[in-house]
Amino acid sequence: MDLEQLRKTAAEVVEREDVKYLIGWKKGTFGYRVAPAFVEDAAAAAELIFSPLCTANLATYLTLVEKLPLPRGEEADSRKVAIMVKGCDSRAVTQLLVEKGIKREGVVVIGCPCPGMVDPALLAEKYPESEEPAELKWNGEGFLLVSGGEEIKVARDELLAEKCRLCRYPNPVVSDIMLGDAVEPWKPAEDSSVTEIEGKDISGRSDYWEEQFTKCVRCYSCRNVCPLCYCQDCILDRLNPTWINRAVNFSENTAFNIARAFHLAGRCIECGECERVCPANIPLGRINRKLAREVRDKYGFEPGVDPEAEPFQASFKPDDPEDFIL
Amino acid sequence: MSAMLLNKEKWPEFVGKLAGKNLWAPQPDGDALKFAPVADGAVPALDFRNTRVPPKQAVFPQTETMYRFQLGTEEIELPELNEETVVLGVRPCDARAMAIVEKLFRWDFDDPYYLERRGLVTLVGLACNEPGLNCFCPSVGGNPASTEGLDLLMVDLGDNYLLEPVTDKGEALLAETKELLEEAKADVQKEKEKVVAEAEKKIKRTVATEGVPEGLPGLWEDPLWQRVSAACLGCGTCTYLCPTCHCFDIQDETEGFDARRCRMWDSCMFEEYTLHTSGHNPRPTRRERTRNRINHKYSYYVDKFDVIACVGCGRCSNLCPVNIDIIEILRQVNEAL
Repeated sequence: MDLEQLRKTAAEVVEREDVKYLIGWKKGTFGYRVAPAFVEDAAAAAELIFSPLCTANLATYLTLVEKLPLPRGEEADSRKVAIMVKGCDSRAVTQLLVEKGIKREGVVVIGCPCPGMVDPALLAEKYPESEEPAELKWNGEGFLLVSGGEEIKVARDELLAEKCRLCRYPNPVVSDIMLGDAVEPWKPAEDSSVTEIEGKDISGRSDYWEEQFTKCVRCYSCRNVCPLCYCQDCILDRLNPTWINRAVNFSENTAFNIARAFHLAGRCIECGECERVCPANIPLGRINRKLAREVRDKYGFEPGVDPEAEPFQASFKPDDPEDFIL
Repeated sequence: MSAMLLNKEKWPEFVGKLAGKNLWAPQPDGDALKFAPVADGAVPALDFRNTRVPPKQAVFPQTETMYRFQLGTEEIELPELNEETVVLGVRPCDARAMAIVEKLFRWDFDDPYYLERRGLVTLVGLACNEPGLNCFCPSVGGNPASTEGLDLLMVDLGDNYLLEPVTDKGEALLAETKELLEEAKADVQKEKEKVVAEAEKKIKRTVATEGVPEGLPGLWEDPLWQRVSAACLGCGTCTYLCPTCHCFDIQDETEGFDARRCRMWDSCMFEEYTLHTSGHNPRPTRRERTRNRINHKYSYYVDKFDVIACVGCGRCSNLCPVNIDIIEILRQVNEAL
């Protein structure tokens, strides 16, 4: 993508009177980090980037914003929020529209067709980070790493993030402005990590998740980063009644992780953010993608692709399959 | 006892000598590392940088039972704390953090839970020869071979570890293993100094702290707090992985008639942290919460205990999902002062 075009478009958008600010990506403070950017004026648009390091799904910020009570006589700022989205991120925006979590007229969606992101952890493992911020670019079929004045060509398969290997929607499904041309979708890989767990017997699956959930430190970064975990009153924060104890142990951690996964069934758009941010390296994508697979296979439903769709969990049909009910 | 040398080949034997004690060491946890009990007969490897979760859990468990009781009765049962634990491979920053936090747990009230555990734990440190990307311990009063908070310091000198006792507990550990050790000759100190100086040279990131503790309260309404917290998700990663963060919450939990009162880590980045019963929240948005996190470490704690409650381990910067970098925040603070 042409960065000049991106910055010029962004500057025009934030200058609009009906736009409050624009959420995009900017270079981080060290190594391969990219930080979310909240752009409020045309000058700040110059720091925006779009690169294979822009893994973060910014759609979470549409619902994460905290609203303070307004002083008497003051009116809420009802201007639009502009947001840059990749294909997967745009599915989160679409799903939020389906659920009426946001209003269509409240957002300006800037679509970024996405040739695929890298797995930042894998990148840092193969090419150790330094304190200087590095740059990563798309380069033909692969990536080009620019770090400390050196340029290294890296094959696409070597670093492509798991969610991108599986991706079926590299082009934004909803947008007001599209930056650049659509990319040619690639053949999605088979989700072998989910199939592998499906292949285990019940005690094998139980052992696997016990090991994973025991690691959880309950920082709730997965919940907070998730664009579709936006309940104003989360059961995890409830103390009366306490649905899930604050104690950190396998039992409570499992209750938390399973509750979250179930609440995302038919809603998770597979952006992989939960797994990326987990400081305990729990492969959360696998549990969410398993439920997405169930919903797809049993009900032929795919969330976040049609803004006019009925929400999955609110769409009972008399002939819905129920062969999985014990 | 003076400093001793342990040949690396004798490390398994050294660990073997400690068998019978409750041993903790850094253990692989998926792709990450954490401090965990060492299985009988296992020999922990010490070729690690640092764990993701700090060893503070050895003295300050994430969930700690204060007492148990039966619903409807008035008797309480106190947990017994008597197991001595030896933690191997503690990085100097994490040990310093325990020394810093102890000041609070000894302040206006001696916290029995923390202090009893602290008394039962022996901390065996390992100086850092290869500091991490976001390490900045020298900026906040530490160094890669600091002994503060430790009972015994180990320094990797290539073929040998240099073992320096810091406290009586450290001396006792050397006495228990003395047949494996050799007296360190005078030139070993020079070798150590060289290793430590080289390690310090590898630390690239710095934080300027002069005038910060006094100046921070004056920046209360500065626009910098909005800037640095705009991307914050409000998760607990920075605080839960911080070796000096020590806030806790107390809850009663029941299962049938079995009940316990327990305390667990809390995080000032959570929305319901210190939320009042009335519904009023003294820190209503992530801006105020981020400001509190930095002020607590770099101003309030200094005011009370004369030490910055940040040891420069870099975990919060390393693991923040949205690149909120404490070094960058402090840079902006300095700029605003």
